[in-house]
Amino acid sequence: MLFSRRLMLGLAMAGSLAGALAVPAIAGEAPTEIDLFFPVPVDGKLARDMGTLIKEFNDGHPDIKATAVYTGSYDDTLIKTRASIKAGKPPAAVIMSANFLLDMQIESELTNLDPLIKADGTTKEQFLGQFFPALSGNAVIDRSVYGVPFQNSTPLLYINADKAKEAGLDASKPPQTWAELTDWAKKLTKREGDKVTQWGIAIPCAYDYCGWMMETLTMTNGGRYYNEEFGGEVYYDTPSMLGALTWWNDLVSKHKVHPPGATPGPAVSTSFISGNAAMMMLSTGSLTYVRENAKFNYKVAFIPRNVRNAVPIGGASLIIPAGVEADKQKAAWTLIKWMTSPEKSAWWSRATGYFAPNMAAYKTPDMIDFLNKNPDAKTAVEQLDVAKPWFATYKTVPVRKNLEDEVMLVLNGKKQPKEALVAAQKAADETLQPYNAETSLKLP
Amino acid sequence: MSLAEPAALPVAASVPPRLTIVARFATRFKTSLPAYLLLLPSLVFLALFTYGAMGRVIIDALYQRATPKAPLRFVGLDNIAAVLADPAFTGAVVNNLIYAIGTAVPSIGLALLFALALARTNAVTSALRAALFLPVLIPMVAASALFLFIFLPNVGLLDYYIGRLLPVLPNWLGDPDIALYAIMIITIWKNAGYYMLFFLAGLQAVPEDVMEAAHLDGAGPFMRLRYIILPELKPTFLFVIVIATLNAVTQVDHVFVMTKGGPSNATNLVLFYIYQQAVEHYDIGMASAATLLTLAALMALTALSFRTMAKREGGP
Repeated sequence: MLFSRRLMLGLAMAGSLAGALAVPAIAGEAPTEIDLFFPVPVDGKLARDMGTLIKEFNDGHPDIKATAVYTGSYDDTLIKTRASIKAGKPPAAVIMSANFLLDMQIESELTNLDPLIKADGTTKEQFLGQFFPALSGNAVIDRSVYGVPFQNSTPLLYINADKAKEAGLDASKPPQTWAELTDWAKKLTKREGDKVTQWGIAIPCAYDYCGWMMETLTMTNGGRYYNEEFGGEVYYDTPSMLGALTWWNDLVSKHKVHPPGATPGPAVSTSFISGNAAMMMLSTGSLTYVRENAKFNYKVAFIPRNVRNAVPIGGASLIIPAGVEADKQKAAWTLIKWMTSPEKSAWWSRATGYFAPNMAAYKTPDMIDFLNKNPDAKTAVEQLDVAKPWFATYKTVPVRKNLEDEVMLVLNGKKQPKEALVAAQKAADETLQPYNAETSLKLP
Repeated sequence: MSLAEPAALPVAASVPPRLTIVARFATRFKTSLPAYLLLLPSLVFLALFTYGAMGRVIIDALYQRATPKAPLRFVGLDNIAAVLADPAFTGAVVNNLIYAIGTAVPSIGLALLFALALARTNAVTSALRAALFLPVLIPMVAASALFLFIFLPNVGLLDYYIGRLLPVLPNWLGDPDIALYAIMIITIWKNAGYYMLFFLAGLQAVPEDVMEAAHLDGAGPFMRLRYIILPELKPTFLFVIVIATLNAVTQVDHVFVMTKGGPSNATNLVLFYIYQQAVEHYDIGMASAATLLTLAALMALTALSFRTMAKREGGP
């Protein structure tokens, strides 16, 4: 008797439980599981911050279960994304280095985001209007949106204010032109006989950074570096780049105020932090590092100009790879919109040191508060007014390397700027040839 | 085996020649079946992860596309020809040769020296052996990150000390004339302790009585080294040389971490070139062709060394 009652009860409970479970199942709302590939180009803390961000997203979106997958550097993330596309199992979203987007679009590896924007009832202009205008150059290809800016940077001039004061210079009035910068660098260089004990300025040159700095110098010299409208052209053998490289080389070999050879980014920042270099040009992404480690007063300023103020952007965008199923695309789109919303964008910016691409982020109370406490973070945002897209061509990395290899030879005193740029142009034209054969040189 | 063979022979004599072969083959197969069964698990995995991948590389090396949107088409040996004509590849091969000789010779020399000095076991030598072996335990990537700071221009550990002696400080990793040698120093530092282990083992095998006899006959330390120890160590030498050469081709972690093949391709090694073709150029055909060439060279080297080792019989 007792037994059967218990059995009945059990059955009834099981039944109601099954019913309860069945209701959402009938509605077809089992959480959509998606992966987000994310690189950590700076330090390890970013991975933890990403975990916090994704957990918050999952808690607020019961119908989606997002998993953040750490995929190494920017380059590694490209490799892993390409491998998973080839294997037929692409992640639903990836944080991809912004200048890889064009190359991926040429290789048909990206999902066009226009239909998703349209489905939300917004126009492309409204959607892109949320972000700083400088960022759309790397997000829009052939008038279609392929990426959503997520974490971005520009190069900055960092000045050791204490050393400047020692040399009789006022860091609150930083150098604005190349002439002034050269003058500052001369005054800030200390020598003991032939030996330099303190360098006036250091500019990084390692693969990746070197191309970015060349673009920076070329742009402040009035140049363009590459064709923003078409992926088959770079402007290496041009007066603007020749001037830029010659000036950089002069700092090294003529004025002797810049350490010789090619110095990678971390070496430059260490040199600045240790007081061995009084000024440096480096990404805004290093601002948090400098803020936490500098035992002296420092100032950040715009990159000085020769012809005009202009800097390239850097950083990464959120993309949806090609071949993601419709439901996962929708879930990924929800995630992307959430991650790039003003509040989240601002939070990520404060956690990492990148600037927030969403303009409304700077109107959130937390961000206003943060900027009041850290006015140096404002410089990067102000410089965005003159920012331009990051070079992106067919085969971005090899084309960039074609230039970098030659610049390194110049900085090591093994080649003259002009002959180096002629060689770089020739090599880049060869690398770009297959794409041109299919586009600009494919004639009726 | 002993049961199967006599049974098979009379049958083989009475059937036509073609069948004889089949029968003989069947018999042989039957007798070695257990061996094949025992090999099967590792064969399955080798096929999946080694031979399968190699087959794929061979196929990939034969295809190329002319333009980014064009389909892959069969190009035969064009990829291999293109790799051989690429100055970056020939540069990487030359760098790799310099690197192989420049790391193998000093690290083996040091290893032998260490082993001879620390051949006797006592508390001091054990401690020293452990100290010399320590670099082997540090992963190459971690070691490279460490050396990145040692080599920092102006502020690094090396420049901090050498800086007092030199008027102009070298940019260790940023100067194309020096960078490859800086990379080689790490490899020597890391591998010498490892090879020392083999020489220590080899020294144990030097017969005590011969050494004693030589000692009694009045042979000095150099004579004993030249006429007894070194000849006894020949198999060890051969083995270590092979390992060192293979390491020179297969270990590029430090290149990856420290220089990415730069500046201006000065530290580009063959394996890193393959990585660049596959990842940066996204050119699977070229990468596969370069892989095939490397694989062929490595296999030739391995085959040669195995044959030499087999002739000498023994060795570790």
